This record gives sequence, C-alpha cells and structure tokens, in this order.
Amino acid sequence: MGNDRIIGAIEIGTSKVVVLVGEVVGDRSLNIVGMGQSTSMGVRKGEIVNFGAASNATHAAIMAAEKSAGTTIEMVYLTQTGGHLDGFFSFGAANVSASDGLVLRADIESTVANAKRKQPPPGRVYIHHINNGFRLDGRAVDDPQTMKGERLEVGYWHVHGDERKVSDQIHVINGFGLQVQDIILSSIASGCMVADEEARKSGVLVIDIGCGTTDYALYFNGCVARTGVVRIGGDHLTNDLSIGLRISRKHAENLKLQFGKAVIDKSDKNDAIWLFGDLTIGDRKISKGAIYQIIHARVEEIFSIIKRELGDHLDPHKIPAGVILSGGCSGLRKIAEESTRVLGVTTRVGENPAWVLESVRQPEYSSVLGVLYYGLTAQRTAGSEQSERGIFRKMARMLNFA
Amino acid sequence: MASEELDQPLITFTQDVGNESIRLKIIGLGGAGNNAVDRLKLDDLTRVNLAVVNTDSQVLSISPLEEQLLIGRATTRGLGAGGEAEIGRQAAEADRAQLAKLAGGADLIFLLAGLGGGTGSGATPVLAEVAAEAGAVVIAFVTLPFTFEGQRRHRQADESLSRLREICHAVIPLPNDVLLQQMDEDASVLDAFALADQWISRGVRGIWSMLFQTGLINVDFASLRKAFENRGGKTLFGVGSGKGEDCAGRALNDLLLCPLLHTPEFSRRADSLIVNIVGGTDLSMAKVNEIMGLVTEKFGSRYETVLGAVIDERMQNTVEICVLGTTEINPGQRLRQQQNRPQMPAHIAKNIESAPHPTPSPMGSPRLFPKSTRRRKLQREDSQGEFQFAGTDEQRGCFDATERNYYNGEDLDVPTYLRRGLKIRL
Repeated sequence: MGNDRIIGAIEIGTSKVVVLVGEVVGDRSLNIVGMGQSTSMGVRKGEIVNFGAASNATHAAIMAAEKSAGTTIEMVYLTQTGGHLDGFFSFGAANVSASDGLVLRADIESTVANAKRKQPPPGRVYIHHINNGFRLDGRAVDDPQTMKGERLEVGYWHVHGDERKVSDQIHVINGFGLQVQDIILSSIASGCMVADEEARKSGVLVIDIGCGTTDYALYFNGCVARTGVVRIGGDHLTNDLSIGLRISRKHAENLKLQFGKAVIDKSDKNDAIWLFGDLTIGDRKISKGAIYQIIHARVEEIFSIIKRELGDHLDPHKIPAGVILSGGCSGLRKIAEESTRVLGVTTRVGENPAWVLESVRQPEYSSVLGVLYYGLTAQRTAGSEQSERGIFRKMARMLNFA
Repeated sequence: MASEELDQPLITFTQDVGNESIRLKIIGLGGAGNNAVDRLKLDDLTRVNLAVVNTDSQVLSISPLEEQLLIGRATTRGLGAGGEAEIGRQAAEADRAQLAKLAGGADLIFLLAGLGGGTGSGATPVLAEVAAEAGAVVIAFVTLPFTFEGQRRHRQADESLSRLREICHAVIPLPNDVLLQQMDEDASVLDAFALADQWISRGVRGIWSMLFQTGLINVDFASLRKAFENRGGKTLFGVGSGKGEDCAGRALNDLLLCPLLHTPEFSRRADSLIVNIVGGTDLSMAKVNEIMGLVTEKFGSRYETVLGAVIDERMQNTVEICVLGTTEINPGQRLRQQQNRPQMPAHIAKNIESAPHPTPSPMGSPRLFPKSTRRRKLQREDSQGEFQFAGTDEQRGCFDATERNYYNGEDLDVPTYLRRGLKIRL
C-alpha cells in the first residue's frame, strides 16, 4: 500500500447513514473509491435514540461501502450534529515578550492557550476550537510570527457538545472495529463543500437543512466565526403535514417531495390534488394551499430562529457572498426565496463541486463529502507539518482552510 | 277571543320577568374597549345596557353612548394613562365608588378591553373586582397586543390577563396575532382591529342569544353562573356558523377552525361546558342531537355539559354554534403538578434547563403549552372510556417518544402552524 491510505467519511444522519470511502494516492490526488448507504434507524433529530438500531444501520452501510470500494477502511472521520451542540466565542491575549518586539512562537502559543483557558462545562466536551485570526496591536494578521508588535490577540469560536451523545456515535463506529480519527461539525463540513474559498473569504452563511436538524456556519474572513444547530429538519415538515392534513407519514413525505413549496403564491391557493391519485378508498382531495401554509410556517420558523441566534452577526454587508443552502431540504421549492425574505440576505441553493461523483452530488451529501474532503486533506498533509503542531492547531488550520 | 286575551298578558308577563331577572351590561374600558362597544352591532339585541369607561376625556367625548365614566380625573386630569398600566390602576382605584355604581344592579357584565395599554390593562381588573363583589357574573373579552407592539405591552397585557383570570368568571382572550392570521396579507391594521371588534361582537352575541332567546332547550342564567362558579381557570370559547345546505356540518367545521380555539395555550377538554345552538325553524331535534354529539365528543367536559338550542325565525337555513367552558381550574392544576412530578424524567428537566436562552416569552403562553399537553395525557388516564391513541401524538406526531425540543420556551416538535394558531384551510 505504501503511502496510500483508505479513509471513510461517515454521517449517521436522521434519514440515512452514508459512508464514503476515499483514498489518498501519493501526494496529490484524492479519489472517492466507494460508497455505502442505508436507511437510518434509531436516530431522531440528529441524535441516537436507539443504539442497537443505529449500529445495525451504520454497520450495514460501512459493509456496503467497503464492498463497493473493494478494500477495508482504515480510519474514520465522522460528522457531528444534534441539538446538544453549543458554542461560545472567546479572546486570548498576550504581550510580546521579546525586547525587540518580534513575535515569537512562544507568544503565539501563550495567546492561544489564553483563548482556550476556559474549561468546558461539566459533562461537555470540546469538539472544535476554531481560530478566527490573530490581531497584532489591533490589525489583523495571518501569521504573526516574527512580526513586530506589542500585544497579540486571537479570537476563538469554541464548539462543545454533550459528552454522552458524542461518544454514542463514536461507540457505533468502534463497534465495527474502526477507530474514529476525528469528528467534524456537519455545518462546517457542508460549508467547505458548497462555499468556495472566495466566498468564505468575503463572508458567507451556510445553512445545511437536513432531515433531523438544521446546521449553520457563518464565515468571516475565511474563518468559521459562528456555528449553530436548530433542532428542526425535514422530518418536521413531514410530521407537520401528517398532523395538519391527517394523513400517514408516508403520504406526507410524498406530498412534501412532490408538491412542497416554501412560499405561498396567491395564484395557487385554490388548487387541490388527490392524496393517492388512484381513486382507491381513502383517496381524497387535499388543497395545495394547506400544504404550502403548513410548510411555509415551519420554514419561516427555521430561518427566523437562525436570524435570532445570529443577531447582529447577520448583516448583509458582512456576508457579501450571501446565504448558501445545502442538505436534503434545500431541494424544497422556493426555499431560497423564503430564506432571502426572512434573513434579508440573498440566498441561493448550493452545489457540490464538479469533481464529485454524480451519484453523490446532490446537496444532501454535502456534509459527508465535506468530511471526506477534510479527512483526505488532513491525511495528505500528515507527516509534513501536522505532527509537530498538535491536534488543535491542525484542526483549526484545516477548518479554516487557510 | 278569550284565549287571546289570556295569552297577551301572559307574554308580556314573561318578558317583564325576563327584563327583571337578567340585567346585562356591556362596559368598554380604555381606547380599544370604547371602540369595541361603539362598534357592537346590537340593533337587534334587546335588554342590554352599554357603558364606556376611560381615563381620556377626549376619547369619551366622541363616544355616542350616554353612559360614560371618566376615571382618575385626580391622577390624570382626564388626559389618559399614557400606556402605563399602573396609572390606569390608580385611576380606577381612585374612582372605585363610581365604578361600583356603574356596575351595580347588573347580573351579567361583559367587560371589553384591549390589554397592553394603560387604561385597559390597569383599570379592567379593578372594575372586574368591583363588579364581582357586587354579585354579577363577569365575563371579559380582551384583545392581546400584536407581537410587533413590543415586549412592554405584552408584559402589561400578560400581567393583567392573569389578574383577570383570578377575578372574572370567564376571560376570553383574543390574541390579535391569531386573528390577523386569518386575514389577507394586504389587510390594514384598521381592518385587523375591526376584525377583533367583530370577534368580540360575535362572542357577546353568542352568549346573549344563549340567555335571552328561547327555543328547544334553554340555557338559563343559573346554569351559566353555576358553570363559572370556580374562578381562576381558563375559558374555552368558540363560535362557528354555517349557511345553506348542510348548515349544521358547515357550522361545526367553522367552529373547529375558530381561531379562538387554536390559541396555543388552549386545552381541548373543558371542566364544564355550555353549548348553544341557534338555528331557524328548520332546526330539527335530530340535527341538534347530531351537533351536540360531535361537539361534546370534541370538547367533552369532565363534570358537566349544559346544552341549549334556540330557534330564531330570521336564521332559516343557518346554524350558529357557541361553546363556552372552563378549563384548568386551580385544584386540578395542583393535582396535575403533583402527579406529574415523578413522571417527569430527569433528562426532560435537564433539557429544559439546557435549552438555549430560556427567557420567558412575553405571552407566557408557550410555557403553558407543554403543560396542557401533559394535562391531556393525565386526563386520558382519568377517564378510561376514551381512545388511548388519539391524544398527545396529535401534537408531536413521530416525535412523541423523543425529548422535548425546547427553544425559547416553545416545543419545536409541535407543528409551527399549531403553535402560531394558524388556520389551515383544508
């Protein structure tokens, strides 16, 4: 095998488990060599509620992926979502110690340590520390080393999650005899797929609306400045329809996919459609207006919660690249229009890069693709710089894709 | 001839008795209340006295009503309460004696007010107290401010509403937000306020016809008083009307869609319930029976249901249904809490604590929402005869077995349209 390494990117989602297998060949090229997928069981709102069922579904997907790749996975990178995730921002600062005013590596380290000094609350574990850039005497610098100044500052966005829930997912993978190399927030993973470097540099908000949760990541200056999870996803749309129209979940899901639309147009208020369309017993007419009303209320709520959570950070001037939607639910008709209306920022539905296999190019695969990309990139650069810099440094560097 | 002579005095005699026995008075407080009373279309409602109370002499002067009372002349010099509930309250306290005179002698008093402002929020509880002390049955119809009117007004409205619930026999809140939702997008604010007045008017008329019109089955004042003898609970109130063929079915449908029954804090089970049906001479007993069956099935009370059916000759081919009930009287609440405490798993309690920004919502309602769901669970345990599977999953569907999903005091797993009280046109 030599230098080639086979890694797996796994997303244990609410609707399905996706496993992508990628390999790093030599120095440069990244290939997706296999894929496995299974209907998810025992996962609700992005969190495992039935360990046995979730394990079975995940293991089935891993086996399918290994079969399609014709090889075994050596290490796993995992996505992470769920309402238990939380984050906070902190600043670290230190005075430049050298008498000539040049920043030393030790100054950088103590500044970073200062920013990370806060312990996570009991029962919580840090998932990411994301570097938001250094400032030397107030001006932003990419790499302060050997620059001249007096006071070095750094901003960090810390993401932490419930220890139990994070370890649940890891245990599922360990149960298959695989080690989890790293876990990556779904929103950040999606972000590095649907938003290109230019967008991330200028400022962009990526919203990944999945089946169980909605994850968002806000980029300023190429850094992840804020992340968050709203515990609403496509499942809620289906559930709302099923309750509101008094139909089964299966039919609600069909209606959502076939007719779902995020805004209510005046013209289609009186349209009606048949529930089954085959004139069998129980078939009845359902007004499209009712479907739109129910979906609209929910979609509007998702965006208004994000708006509320981001507060002042959601400023059209700060994110000129606008809002990019991804995830399974971004396929909902006119959802970008609704997002633009509620958030007040121009929104488009994101696309995965063209180098991605066509079978996984739909927006619902953004996050798992992002994790694979992350994992492959991490492996590619392994050995050269990462080993000496430590895991946090590596993570921060990778996540910013600086 | 002889019989006619006999009949004639008999009829006037009953009318006289009616006049004597129930004196109904409708009092509007504050700007919104004054407007509501002025706009009540009561041409055909007899035996009703109207009055307006305000701290603002200017508003009073444009009211066409004769019976007016300016309160708090000493505190506000007749210039209004300036949106301060405390000033409204002081004004009312200062003129308690006059309020007592205004309320005196009435058996049933409707208070109409818009909560959130100064006079409406401040003076209404005082007047309600005075009226209840004088022995009247007090029913308050109060509008709650739009969300865009701001936190402060919501807080005032909320405080006032909870005070009114302690004092009044029945309080029917009409959240402006909910009423607005059934309007077209291009409706103006004036339209919205007019709509609120219209709902008040429908409500007043519903109770009026229950008491004053006669028909197949009468609801009398005593049963109204009895139904509301326990105070402090919440009031269930809804009206629905239907016209033409299958008017009964349409009325029923309309009732189920009544926005007042879709406010989030509403619990669909009443402790005691009054149902009144108004219809034309074509209203058959069978139809009444059918409606009653469906209504009681939907809102079935635990203790008592009073049925009324009224014939109004002008209402041919039309049916109007009005339901009025009480829910969540205090002793029940206490019982509920006791029984629920051990049932609440620790992770739910933890979840509530760890919910992001658990600031109490200005309306106070979302917090009540999960409670009422729990209450329904409990009630199903109480009464064995009911279906076991038609309850809580009505609200949470497939998320029923999962942790509650609190955000800002609201359970996000409950459909948004339900929490917003959105009327879905099926």
